[in-house]
Amino acid sequence: MVMPINSDAFENLRLELRRGCLVLAVLAALRSEQYGYTLRKILSEHGLEIDEGTLYPLLRRLETQGLLASEWREEEKRKKRFYLLSADGALVLEQLLAEWRNLDSSIHTILKEQSHGTD
Amino acid sequence: MELIERYLQVVKFGLPKRQRDDIIAELSGDIYSQVEERETALGRKLNEAEVEEILKQRGHPLLVANRFSPQESLIGPVFFPIYRFVLKIFAFGYLLPATLVWIGLMTFSATYRFEQTQPSWFHAFASLFSYLWFTTCLVVVPLTIAFVVLERQQTKLHLFDRWNPRKLPVIRDANQIPRSSSAIEVAFNLIFFVWWAVYAHSPQVRIGSMIHISFQPQWLWLFWGYLALALGNTALSATNLLLPFWSVTRAKLRLFSDGVGAAIFCWLMQANILAGISITNVPAEKATALAQAINHWMTTLFPAAIVVGLVVIATGIYRIVRLKPAEGDSLP
Repeated sequence: MVMPINSDAFENLRLELRRGCLVLAVLAALRSEQYGYTLRKILSEHGLEIDEGTLYPLLRRLETQGLLASEWREEEKRKKRFYLLSADGALVLEQLLAEWRNLDSSIHTILKEQSHGTD
Repeated sequence: MELIERYLQVVKFGLPKRQRDDIIAELSGDIYSQVEERETALGRKLNEAEVEEILKQRGHPLLVANRFSPQESLIGPVFFPIYRFVLKIFAFGYLLPATLVWIGLMTFSATYRFEQTQPSWFHAFASLFSYLWFTTCLVVVPLTIAFVVLERQQTKLHLFDRWNPRKLPVIRDANQIPRSSSAIEVAFNLIFFVWWAVYAHSPQVRIGSMIHISFQPQWLWLFWGYLALALGNTALSATNLLLPFWSVTRAKLRLFSDGVGAAIFCWLMQANILAGISITNVPAEKATALAQAINHWMTTLFPAAIVVGLVVIATGIYRIVRLKPAEGDSLP
């Protein structure tokens, strides 16, 4: 018997699933230079809402890992920190995208086989 | 924009010192960018309620700050289950029995109860609490420090690098009876049976040529009770030796024999069973005082005997409950 899953459990699983995807999305979006707020807007426009409490620690982590480079610049009378994908970051992004496609393909295959099995 | 500055001030409080200014500058830029965008869209300055709404959407400032802090824990997920296990052993192996013994003494020993509640009942509880608290601190503080050190040093010590699957704990069926323990039980019960039958069959016992002990006439009840138990336990242990898995029937028999043994022992503790002692070259008054002291000592320990008996019975009941009926019924 399938137990109905409560909304908290679903939310936790959803966040867990999103966590890895967000790294991929941030790296992909930073192929062109952005600062935090515009990056959030770009992600949001593409259906990936991310709050600043998640985004900024993630940016710092990726920068510490050498996948992003950042610099402070003044724009519109305000100092802003601009982020850009580094050379290492570009390489990692390619590898992660390949992994992503493999996962997507594997899951599709499993789902396809399962649906054939139940038909 | 005072609200934004106040918000950032609280975020700053919760941030790691080294990155504080950098993070605040970035967060500040983010908030002001959002405010400016809204102002451009509305064609006017935002009022305080609208700024408040923006800040509320971002969440409590301490929670925001927390996202930037590294995960901090004294004992991490690797060692925590072991730490919890050791604490459980301490709680159930020491704190709980100590409390039960105290309850037993307070219930059954009038002398102890009188001594403890001499000033007041509050004093009795405070005394128990301070004793337990002191013992807990004495054990838990060094234990916690040891685990914290292990947590910090686990990488340097290479604790998890050198391991062998063959040295992992073997899977043990709780219903299995080790043949070695059954063999020891058989031997012990037989030796006890012979020793008891030879030396304890009379209320007058001689130890060497120097000591002569007299028991009350009820001693014979004790003698026959333990003799029967030793015989029964020998038979049960011998069966367990041949069939090394608990069955419901044998588990019930063990519970019965343990219960009877505990009951006789508890009765013995408060029966003033010792009638007299005579020791060569020791004055009669001193020997009588010694006999009385032993009787008094046994009576004092009577509550502890009850607690031990209850633990033994509870263990026996647990053994029956945990047995699967299907397995139990298939064995004699």
